[in-house]
Amino acid sequence: MEKSAHLEAKNLSVSYGANQAISGLSLRIPDNSITVIIGPSGCGKTTLLKSFNRLLDLGDNVQVTGEVLVDGENIYSPTADVPGLRKRMGLLAQRPCPLPMSIYDNVAFGPRLHGLRSKKDIDLLVRRELAEASLWDEVKDRLHEPATRLSVGQQQRLCLARGLAVRPEVILGDEPTSALDPVSSKKIEEKFLALRSIYTIVLVTHILRQAKRLADYIVFMFNGRIVEHGPAKEFFENPKEDLSREYISGVIS
Amino acid sequence: MNARHRYKADTLFHILLNTGVVIFCIVFATMIVTITMKGSMHLTVELVTQVPSDMYFNGGPGGVLNAIVGSIMLATGASILASTFAVPIVLYLRVYLGKRSFFASAIRFLMDILWGIPTIVYGAVSVIILYGMKASLLAGIVIVGIIEIPVLARALDEVAQLVPAELLEASYSLGATRGQTAFKVLFRELLPGFISAFLLAFGRGIGDAAAVLLVAGFSDSIPGSLLEPAATLPVSIFFQIQTPFPVVQERAYATGFVLMIIILCVSLLSRLFYSRFSRYQVNK
Amino acid sequence: MILSVVMVILVPALMLWILGSSSAGLFADKGFAAIVFGETWKPLSGRFGLFPFIAGSTVVTLLAMALAFPVSLCVAIYLSEYASKRVTAILRPLVDLLAGLPSVLYGMWGLLFVVPFIRDAAAPFFGLASTGLSIISAAMVLGLMVLPVLVQICSEVFRSVPAAMREAAFSLGATKAEVVLRVVCKKSLAGILAANILAFGRAFGETIAVMMVLGFSVRVPDSLFGSGATLPSLLANAYGEMSSHPLYEKALMTAAMILLVVIILFNGLSRFVMTRLRRGME
Repeated sequence: MEKSAHLEAKNLSVSYGANQAISGLSLRIPDNSITVIIGPSGCGKTTLLKSFNRLLDLGDNVQVTGEVLVDGENIYSPTADVPGLRKRMGLLAQRPCPLPMSIYDNVAFGPRLHGLRSKKDIDLLVRRELAEASLWDEVKDRLHEPATRLSVGQQQRLCLARGLAVRPEVILGDEPTSALDPVSSKKIEEKFLALRSIYTIVLVTHILRQAKRLADYIVFMFNGRIVEHGPAKEFFENPKEDLSREYISGVIS
Repeated sequence: MNARHRYKADTLFHILLNTGVVIFCIVFATMIVTITMKGSMHLTVELVTQVPSDMYFNGGPGGVLNAIVGSIMLATGASILASTFAVPIVLYLRVYLGKRSFFASAIRFLMDILWGIPTIVYGAVSVIILYGMKASLLAGIVIVGIIEIPVLARALDEVAQLVPAELLEASYSLGATRGQTAFKVLFRELLPGFISAFLLAFGRGIGDAAAVLLVAGFSDSIPGSLLEPAATLPVSIFFQIQTPFPVVQERAYATGFVLMIIILCVSLLSRLFYSRFSRYQVNK
Repeated sequence: MILSVVMVILVPALMLWILGSSSAGLFADKGFAAIVFGETWKPLSGRFGLFPFIAGSTVVTLLAMALAFPVSLCVAIYLSEYASKRVTAILRPLVDLLAGLPSVLYGMWGLLFVVPFIRDAAAPFFGLASTGLSIISAAMVLGLMVLPVLVQICSEVFRSVPAAMREAAFSLGATKAEVVLRVVCKKSLAGILAANILAFGRAFGETIAVMMVLGFSVRVPDSLFGSGATLPSLLANAYGEMSSHPLYEKALMTAAMILLVVIILFNGLSRFVMTRLRRGME
């Protein structure tokens, strides 16, 4: 991959107790583009994604060896600033999870943590991010209602607005539309396409068609290793590995 | 920098939590350790094998066998009594009523209230009802039995919720009625869970002092019949500890130690049966 | 089977009826305010002011909750958010075990530790004399009794907060303390409140442990280091003398009635908080 990399994994291995999820994986994620990680369930793609923002730390009995570099710094070094790192990585989870507060407070949560105080600034920020996520018009009259009153599709857009509010550098998406109806899915996908010029986006999905629609680069994983990676067009039209061919044609899924 | 501020607060919070946990552990440790030490120090064979003599509470010879036997008799009878009511209720809740039934929530709410009613109130009401009648073992069994019903029922209910619906459905599809399913299938399935709940209720029953004080009275001898008053361990401890004689007070601690051991054994057994139950369950 | 269900309904109903009619009789005779707010308790002269007992119970219970609440919260948060699997495997069953210990044992601890401490260290520190049998001793013992149950319920409430919510907050760059306080605790607010309300109701009716360290002095509590009396201790102390004065018995039943009403009220309030407040948040 020719472009420079914000995000890079070097010889990464992750295991949950006796279960090896990822072995010796190295990868450079190119900037300002959408990289989609695909593979059958259990291949380690979500584990890989979660290793990028150290969300793996929250699990039990997780062992990580190797390095993950963000802007050249290894985030797994013992002196790493973990909350600061996580701020630079926005995560959009599979099932939207609004925080137990109002729509307004959800979006403002991150910025408030990091020091934003003035009400005027927060108002502006909330408005801007909700507009970015194509949610403003739908919620502008009920900003202070609990976020759980929104529909699932709206909640996911809220989570996107919330994640963008902290100005990350990288957006990580763990099957971000799998819980949504087609209309909401489409809106989120359009958002990703629009954002790619500003952010580096890494998505995990099991929907091949979605990968085809969105990806600039593809990373195909199987059994904790990368089978093949490269520009999307090349991967889909001319896969180099047999396994890739089988996956694309649906023989394995 | 703002971030450093937050990280310091994070550490401070963690320290605060640890302090709370340490306080918790230390305080309870002092309780268990002192009762064990003081209790075992003054525990004699005499204490657990003899009944109190006339002068026992003034420092004379004797032991608390009356209370040990009385407690066991009372708690056993009470738990059995409680079972005869609690088991049908729980079976009824599981087999006849759905999970969203209003009636079921009402019953559970009533159970919660029954559980929360102070045992002294049970005792006071019983004194009214049994007006004129002497304190007796039977009265104690009945009252503590009633007190134990919600304890047993709640523990059994939790276990009954774990039984998968497929089991009941299988029974119905073999042609069993709801009643047969309840008593023959569900109860069989629940058996280790029932024993666990029974032991839990037994533990509660044996530890109660307020109600038995009023209703079972006290006696220096082992009750010979159901109509005689009965001594129980908590009441015995209570009386012994109130005396001004250090000898008797020491015996109170020893009695307390005996009670604690009984409760701990019963609790551990209860856990054992509970894990036996959940081990053979099909995980959903 | 139906019989059993009927029993469950019958018992509280019967209690309410028996106690209610006694109380009603007493109120009719002496007046509600004179009983509930009356400060003089001299049964032999027909004065049945229950206020000293009501006040005693309330003060001791409130103090006990004030002591137990912060500690229980710390332990519950620790258990659900910070403790490793190994620690949890030991601590959680331990808390369950402690919840089953009989009240006499707590009373014993009180006599061994708290009473001497108050008598020999705390009271003199403030320049006061105390036998150790005091309001503050009772509050400490009661507070300890309530701790395991509070920890059990609160840690369950915390555990029910979905992991995804914590992950979302962490992903925004929050520290652990911020996640716990601003997200987990916030989501659990209704549950924690309900648990404490429930615990208060139960603690209000505790008899033996409180009796052992409070002493029995019928007066409105005026000093932390002084003695007092609670509604349950009134009932326990009076059991031998039930049949001396007809109204006396009614007065005791009224005291029991108050206890019954308190538990029903607080149970109901606890449920209400659980369902309504939670719905209000969603």
